[in-house]
Amino acid sequence: MVDVPKVTQLLKQAVDPKRVTDRDFDIVAYSRDLSPARQKMATHIVMPESREEVRGILRVASDNNVPVYIRGGGTSHWDAYLPQEPGILLDMSLMNQILEINDRDLTATIQPNCTWAKLDQELRKKGLTYLCSEAGGPAMTIGGSVMKAGGGPHSTAKFGFHGNQDIITLEMVLPNGDIVETGSAAWPSAGKFKRQCVGPDLAGLFIGAEGILGICTEITLRIRPATDVKERMVAVMKTLDDVIELGHFVNRCVGDEYLQGFYLWVDPNSPETFLVMMDVFGYEREIVDYRKTRILEKIKELGGTLGDRAPADDYYGRILTGLTDIFTAGVWHFFGSGSLRIDDIKFLYRVWREELIEKRGYKKAGFGGQVLPRDWLAFMVTNYREPAEWEEIIRISDEINEIVLNGPVAPYGIGGRDGLRPFLEKRDTGYYRLLKTIKKAVDPKDILQRGIFVRKEDLI
Amino acid sequence: MKIEQYRDMIYACGRCEFCRGTEFSDRCPQIFTQRWESSTARGRMAIARAILEGKLDYSKDLRERVFGCFLCGRCREECKKAAKIDIVAITKAMRADFVDRGVGAPEEGGKMTSTMAQKGNIFADSTSEHTKWAQGIKFQKGSGTLFFPGCLASHRFKEKTRILVQVLQAAGYKLDFLGDDQRCCGTPMWVTGDVRAAKQWAQDYVKKLKARGVKEIITPCPSCFRAFDEEYPQLLGLKEPPFKVRHSSQVLEEIVAQKRLPLKTSVPKVVTYHDPCEIGRYRGMYDQGRKVLTAIPGVQLKEMSRIREQAFCCGGGGGLKIMYPDYSQQVSEERLRDALQTTASVLATMCPACELNLTHAAYKTDAPLKVADVAEIVAVSAGLADKAILEPDYISDD
Ligand SMILES: Cc1cc2nc3c(=O)[nH]c(=O)nc-3n(C[C@H](O)[C@H](O)[C@H](O)COP(=O)(O)OP(=O)(O)OC[C@H]3O[C@@H](n4cnc5c(N)ncnc54)[C@H](O)[C@@H]3O)c2cc1C
Ligand code: SF4
Ligand code: SF4
Repeated sequence: MVDVPKVTQLLKQAVDPKRVTDRDFDIVAYSRDLSPARQKMATHIVMPESREEVRGILRVASDNNVPVYIRGGGTSHWDAYLPQEPGILLDMSLMNQILEINDRDLTATIQPNCTWAKLDQELRKKGLTYLCSEAGGPAMTIGGSVMKAGGGPHSTAKFGFHGNQDIITLEMVLPNGDIVETGSAAWPSAGKFKRQCVGPDLAGLFIGAEGILGICTEITLRIRPATDVKERMVAVMKTLDDVIELGHFVNRCVGDEYLQGFYLWVDPNSPETFLVMMDVFGYEREIVDYRKTRILEKIKELGGTLGDRAPADDYYGRILTGLTDIFTAGVWHFFGSGSLRIDDIKFLYRVWREELIEKRGYKKAGFGGQVLPRDWLAFMVTNYREPAEWEEIIRISDEINEIVLNGPVAPYGIGGRDGLRPFLEKRDTGYYRLLKTIKKAVDPKDILQRGIFVRKEDLI
Repeated sequence: MKIEQYRDMIYACGRCEFCRGTEFSDRCPQIFTQRWESSTARGRMAIARAILEGKLDYSKDLRERVFGCFLCGRCREECKKAAKIDIVAITKAMRADFVDRGVGAPEEGGKMTSTMAQKGNIFADSTSEHTKWAQGIKFQKGSGTLFFPGCLASHRFKEKTRILVQVLQAAGYKLDFLGDDQRCCGTPMWVTGDVRAAKQWAQDYVKKLKARGVKEIITPCPSCFRAFDEEYPQLLGLKEPPFKVRHSSQVLEEIVAQKRLPLKTSVPKVVTYHDPCEIGRYRGMYDQGRKVLTAIPGVQLKEMSRIREQAFCCGGGGGLKIMYPDYSQQVSEERLRDALQTTASVLATMCPACELNLTHAAYKTDAPLKVADVAEIVAVSAGLADKAILEPDYISDD
């Protein structure tokens, strides 16, 4: 049990008291995420302003054995920041500054809660960009994206998920309060310009760890000149095999050079219609036109039909401003999702069609995915009404997740007990054992994100 | 509970955070001032849901999160992309629940409403003080077109109000005025949740105006405009508003379109235009003010970075000026920054509350810019007012 008044008092010594709240109505506002995860209440919400304050909060938490949870933009959807047991939730919103844009080295250094949209606005003023891949809209933060290794429909065919290569250095506060750096930043007299440096790539330890090993307080990432020329295409492919061939064409013959965004969508009411939205961008019209021509030729060769590009323009254009009509038919649930080989999309499609639509008669979930360099990030997504359809959707998605994760699909976004954690913990993998060993070493009291990714009981 | 009727909408919030935006200062003036997630639309939907589920109740402490909303509608605009939740309606219903459940509005809000109910205006002005602006102006009782200035324009902006009436009369409008009989339109009542009193107020008002032969109301105040045009019909269960109601921006647009006033004098000024929430986002009236401004010779309209649907609130909405004046001031200064970035020397708008708040921000920061009503610029161009009124250092006798 958390001694709430005592911890409130201690937190108010660690940060400005105005930035600590233990009032139920404040806490309830943070108690759900984008997913159907059950409501979870923190005991406190704290808004730190600096790495030193983060460290002070961790000290209070550690001394009193209170877990600490971390919320960036709060737009993720796998129970990844909701307090799995009563504890302190950090609202990182105040750590949102752009610290430096270095247009010589093409790097930007930001505090973690800087949103992609905010960074992009500033970069574009200087003719630069990052090219965020996720479609999470205006509030999605760089820290949140990177800490869960996000990847979305835009530019991932070329650059992969966030953290793949674009993250150069990280500053992390470890559960014991130690402030550490990765990459070239680890060598204090060197600067922030290189990921693989000094020794092992320790940034990779934190990217995708969903905050369980440390709290990110600074990120340096690669930026690039804005790519002014874009071509968007929409095609309907006759079969999934054709989509796969197109995916291979993108990834095999021509590397990731031709097509930077590749997004597949199959509507449950028309499961044989394979809609593909594609995004080509570059610096020179000639090159972009050439790439587009090659893609169009391939689509033609495969017997696909080209459509009006407007939906692709609209879709890709809304990555940072917000997609439209997302909850018109109810709130969202993503399930049956993960990373898989290009050929294996057929497996996931079959599960969607046979298990979900035909066997279970659930016809409201669409099927989609994006090609990353040499693989897919694919998913099923549905709208459902809360609370009436909640139980049904949980039951069905659990069943589908089980089937999917027994197949050639690696989970994406683990989260807590209402996320994919139960699927991870019941498989005795070397990966999970190693993660637990690392977690125990850096966080022996299991303070950070307790119950997220790694079950508390598994650390004893 | 009044929020019951919005149950489906409350549950429809999918927690996307579109309403919150990219930054504290991006969209929602409430999170700009209060910082916690509980001061966003998403947070409010979570609170409302918890209340519906019996996990939370209305309390004195909670008031700041609900009455601290500027009712600016920016989140509602954003949510059109997501779940189409009418956050403003839900916030008003929550405010009404506070009153119904005996918790009440914040003290200053309650006082505003009782002052208004007792004295007829929110400033407790005497009748002679409240109608001082109209001294010497001839009105036509029974003309059927009522000029309704509202509390703020009567109390604070006597000169501006006089100028507007001069413009309208010069353009041939035959205006009636209630004079000593004028009372507040009732907005403070529903803004602070006193729906029962509001209903009675609306009923009495409609009766009074009908008896006077009023067919049309012209008002410079977006709140009064919406009161007669939207809130009264809602409160009284009417399908149509009891009178034709026009905001001054619509009338000025008509004057310009029909060339009812010669706009001969050049006004060589860089002017920026602030969209008042209650005519802009609430009613989609974005073009009227701009059309008038661009018809004035010499005026160079330079837009702010956030305009129309995306305009940032002036800080005057939701009764905040009275209930939480510090928050209101912070927001007005943020909006003023947008205006200053344009290098305009005149910040034009068409709402007395916006004018008041932005003027306070300009005074406080000693900004090199004059906050003016579009009607004032029209008046200068039509030779009805001295151009000095558009200078940043001009202070009227009001
Ligand atoms: C309309 C819409 C579209 C979306 N599209 C996509 C998509 O295309 N692809 C995709 O992957 N997701 C998508 N999402 C989900 C979401 O936007 C992403 O997961 C996003 O990366 C989450 O960022 P966030 O800032 O909201 O992070 P949060 O949700 O706040 O946090 C994400 C994770 O990071 C951790 N974290 C946050 N900040 C820190 C920190 N400073 N230090 C350590 N750990 C931290 C949290 O504890 C949590 O585990 C979408 C969401 C919406 C609403
Ligand atoms: S935009 Fe609408 S659906 Fe999205 S979080 Fe805000 S209120 Fe909820
Ligand atoms: S109405 Fe305005 S102040 Fe209120 S929550 Fe919405 S955006 Fe914020």
